[in-house]
Amino acid sequence: MNLTLNINGTAHSVDIVEGELLLDVLRRLGFTSVREGCGVGACGSCTVLVDGHSVSSCLTLSSRCAGTEIQTSEGLGKDNPVVRAFVAEGALQCGYCIPGFVMMATELLSENLHPDEKDVADHLEGNICRCGTYPEIVKAVLAAASGIPK
Amino acid sequence: MTSEVFSGESYDGNAVGQSWRRANSESKVLGTFRYTADLPVPKCLYLGVHRASQPHASIVNIDAEGAMAIPGVVKVITGADLYDALGEKMLTGPAFSDQPPIAWQRVRYVGEPVAVVLATDLATARAAADEIYVEYQDMAPVLDIDAALEGHDYVHDELRPSVVFQDLRQLMGKRNTNINYEYNLNRGDSEHAHKTAATTVNGEFWTPPTSHVAIELFSASAWTEETHLELVSTTQTPSYVRQAIATMLNLRLNQVRVRTLGLGGSFGSKMYDRLEPLVAAIAWTQKLPVRLELTREETFVLTTRHGVAVSSRMSADSDGNIVAATADVRYDTGAYADIGPRIAAKSGMVACGPYRIENAKIRSRCIYTNKPSAGPFRGFGVPQVTWSHESLIDDLARELGEDPAGFRKRNLLREGDVAPIGTVMHSADFIGCLDAVTEAIGWNEPLERREGDWKWGRGVAVGIKAVLTPTVSNAVLQLNQDASATLLISTVEMGQGSDTIMAQIVADVLNLGPERVRVVNPDTDVTPYDTITAGSRSTYHTGNAVKMAAETMRDKLIEIAAKQMGVSPSDCKLTAGGVLSSSSQRLISLEDLIMSEFGAAGTTMTAEANFTTEWIPYDKETGQSTKITEHWFAGAAAAELAVDARTGRIRIRHLAVAGDVGRAINPALVKQQLIGGAIMGMGHALFDEIVFDNGQMVNGTLLDYQLPSIKDMPEKLTPIIVENPHRTGPFGAKGVGETGLIPIAPAIANAVRDAIGIRITTLPLTPERVLTALANQGK
Ligand code: FES
Ligand code: FES
Repeated sequence: MNLTLNINGTAHSVDIVEGELLLDVLRRLGFTSVREGCGVGACGSCTVLVDGHSVSSCLTLSSRCAGTEIQTSEGLGKDNPVVRAFVAEGALQCGYCIPGFVMMATELLSENLHPDEKDVADHLEGNICRCGTYPEIVKAVLAAASGIPK
Repeated sequence: MTSEVFSGESYDGNAVGQSWRRANSESKVLGTFRYTADLPVPKCLYLGVHRASQPHASIVNIDAEGAMAIPGVVKVITGADLYDALGEKMLTGPAFSDQPPIAWQRVRYVGEPVAVVLATDLATARAAADEIYVEYQDMAPVLDIDAALEGHDYVHDELRPSVVFQDLRQLMGKRNTNINYEYNLNRGDSEHAHKTAATTVNGEFWTPPTSHVAIELFSASAWTEETHLELVSTTQTPSYVRQAIATMLNLRLNQVRVRTLGLGGSFGSKMYDRLEPLVAAIAWTQKLPVRLELTREETFVLTTRHGVAVSSRMSADSDGNIVAATADVRYDTGAYADIGPRIAAKSGMVACGPYRIENAKIRSRCIYTNKPSAGPFRGFGVPQVTWSHESLIDDLARELGEDPAGFRKRNLLREGDVAPIGTVMHSADFIGCLDAVTEAIGWNEPLERREGDWKWGRGVAVGIKAVLTPTVSNAVLQLNQDASATLLISTVEMGQGSDTIMAQIVADVLNLGPERVRVVNPDTDVTPYDTITAGSRSTYHTGNAVKMAAETMRDKLIEIAAKQMGVSPSDCKLTAGGVLSSSSQRLISLEDLIMSEFGAAGTTMTAEANFTTEWIPYDKETGQSTKITEHWFAGAAAAELAVDARTGRIRIRHLAVAGDVGRAINPALVKQQLIGGAIMGMGHALFDEIVFDNGQMVNGTLLDYQLPSIKDMPEKLTPIIVENPHRTGPFGAKGVGETGLIPIAPAIANAVRDAIGIRITTLPLTPERVLTALANQGK
C-alpha cells in the first residue's frame, strides 16, 4: 500500500506493508533520530510529534498518519532553541535517548511557555535516560524556555 | 533538582582540565548521529531466534517444517548444524569455553537460542521463529545459589576453562560441581581475632540480578568478502571479538574485521561474546550475509548483572579499630560463566572494604545456575560486595556508639597503607571523598527527625575497586599536513566521553585547538588492539598510550624543525603557532613544517605507542599480591532522605557523590559520569530487580521492569571531583565510569537505617520491603 507522509514539512511517498509501524517506516526513510528502545511505549526513544502531539511511534500505525504533519528532531535544525539549549547545557551522554526528550520538550514548550522544574519533570516522565542525564535535561528545557519572551 | 555541570569551553593552549563540549553534541541532540545499527551494510538475511521455554532440558527434536513453509524463509539453523561445521570450537566465552551460539543437545536457561530462522525480512524471520516446535526432555533445573551448592544437579557435566587465563587451567574437566571458580583471601588469623574482639556484627546480604537497559538495543551484521569475514556489531570489545571469532572459525586475525560506531549506552552489557558468535558462525558457514536485531525482551535474557549473596562479619576492638573481617561471597552467574570467574576473584577480593584490617578472610565463588548468563555490569561485581561491607560497618559503628562517618575515617586505608589484599595504596583518597560528601550534605548539622509520617535520616558509604590488570592499549596518531590530527584507537565511545577526552589529550600535547583532532571509530582493520573499553580503564590506559603517541609526535616535529632551522632540538618548543626556536625566535608552523619535510600537500606523519600494565598474580592459598592492580578507584556517597512510614516510600533530599579521579581531564564530563553513576546506583537501591519464577524471568519488559525516571531524581544531587594525581596517570588522571555507582545503594540504606532504625539487607528498598520491615519492627 502506498502512503504519503508529511515529515518535517516534506511529502514522502512510501510503500508500506499492512500494519507497519510509524517507527519502522521513519527509520526506513532514514530518520535515524527515531529509535526503538522498548517497542511497548515505555521508554520514549521513538517519540515524534504528530500534528504537534507527542506519540510513541513504536505503537502508532503508519497508515493512520496519512494527512498529518509528522515532526522528528532532525527536522528542528541546529538553530532551534531547544536543540541549542541541550547542546549548551551538555544535556547528553551517549545521546541515544536525547531526540525523544527534545521532542517532548518541544511539545511542552508549545503548550506552556514558562514551565517550572516540576512541569518539566511531569511532562518528560515517560522518557528513560539510562545514562542519567536528567539534571542537565531539566536545565536545558528551562534554559530553552527562558529564551522565550514573557 | 539542582546540579552544576557545564562551564562552557575556552581554549588557552591547555586542553587538559578544560570542560570541552562533548564530541558530536549537536548531531546527537538532533538525532543525525549514526550509531552502529545505522552503518550501511550489504543487503542481509534477517535472523529470527526461537528460544528455549525450559530452564534445563535436553533437546529431543526440533520441528521447523512450519517455519520453512512460510514465504521468505530461506533456512533454519540449529546448534547441531553449527556443531557439524565447527565442532567444539563453537563453544566460546572469555573465561570458560562453555557457551554455544545456539543451544546444542541441551538448553540451560529460559530464553536460550534453540533454532535460528534466516528470512528475507525481519518480521518474517521473527514470525517464523514462533512456528518452530521443540520437543524437550526436562532435566532437574538448578534455580538458585543454594540449590547449586547443596544439590546434586549440575548445569554443566564438566568445567571447560578457556585457554586465556592460566590460573583457570587446573579446573579443566572437573565434574559434579556448579562452582566454576573459587577465590580465597587469608590474612592474619581472622577466626581468633573475631573471637577476642570487643564487638562483632554479622549480616546476610542479597543483591538481586538487574538489567543494564542501555537504551540502544543490540544489533550485529556479518558477511563474507573474498577471503575474510566482516562484522558490524554493537560491541564495546572489538579487539576481543576479533580474537574470539578468529578462534571459533579457525581464521587468521586478518581474516576477521570488526567494526562498531558509537554505542547508545552499554554499562557492561555489550561486551565479550554477545551476538557476534551467532552471526559470524552463520555468515561464515553458510556464506550468507546475515543481520540480527534484538528486541528489548530478548535483551533482558541476553545478559544480566550477577545476583550476589554475601554472608559477612566484622569485628572491632574497644578502641574502635576494625580488627577482623570475613566474607563469604556467592555470585550467581547463570547458565554460562561469561566473565563471572574473573568477577568472583577481582571483585570478591575487596569484600571487606577499603579498611585497615589485619585479619581478613574472604571466600568468593562463581556459581552456575539455570538462569540467563550474568556478565559484566558497571562496577564488575563490586557494588554487590560494597552493599555488604558498607552496611556492616555502619552497624559496627552504631554498636560502638560511634558516628558512622568518623568510625570509617579512623579505619580507612590511607596513602602508603597495605590493603588486606597485600598491595600498598596510592592515589585513592577515601578520606577526601568521605569528607567531601559529608560536608556537602551538612552531616554535622542538626536534622529534624520527624515530619508527620516522614522520618528523616542520613547515611554515608565509601567504595573501592581495583582497575583491571594486566591490560594492553595502543594508539596510532596521524598528524596531517594541515595540522589536523586523526587518532586511531579501539576505545568505544558509548556515552562516557572517550572521544572527547582523548582528543583533549592530543590537543594538549600538540597545542592544537578544539575540532582539530578527530577520533576514528573502532575498526580492527584500522585501529590497533585495545583489551576492552570497560572497567573505567580507558582514561588511564588508552589515555597513556594516546599521550605517549602525541609526545612522540611532538618530539619528531621538534627534531625536524630544528634540522630545518639549523638549531639544536633543545632550543625548540612546540607552541600554538608551531615550533619556535628560542635563540633565533623563528617560528615554523606545523603546516609549513610537514609541507617542507615531504614536499607535498596532504601528507601525513605517524606516531604510535603502546601502554601495557603488569600485575603480580595472587597467591592461591592466601589471595595476597604485592601488586594486585595498577591502581584503585576511590569514591564515597552521602544521602539525606525521608521514609514515609505510611507508604514505605523514600524521598531523597540530597545525594552527594565524590570520586578521586587523580586529575579531571574534562571536569564537566567527570561530573556527568559521577551523576550518571549515582542515578543508576539509586535505581539499584530503590527499583532495579529482575524477578524469576521457576527460572522464567517474569518482568523482562520495560513495562514491568522498574528503573529511575526524571521524577525520581533527588531534590539535590551534588557531584564532587577529588583530585589526587596518580604518579603514572596521563596528567595524573584515572577513570571514573563506575566510581559514582559503587557506594550509592549502601549510602541510601544507611540513611534509611538512620531514619527508621531498621537494617534492610535485601535490595532494592521497595515500598513493600520497607513497609514489611516496619511492620515486623512493631512485633
Ligand atoms: S520504543 Fe517506543 S516507547 Fe520505547
Ligand atoms: S544519554 Fe544515554 S540514554 Fe540518555
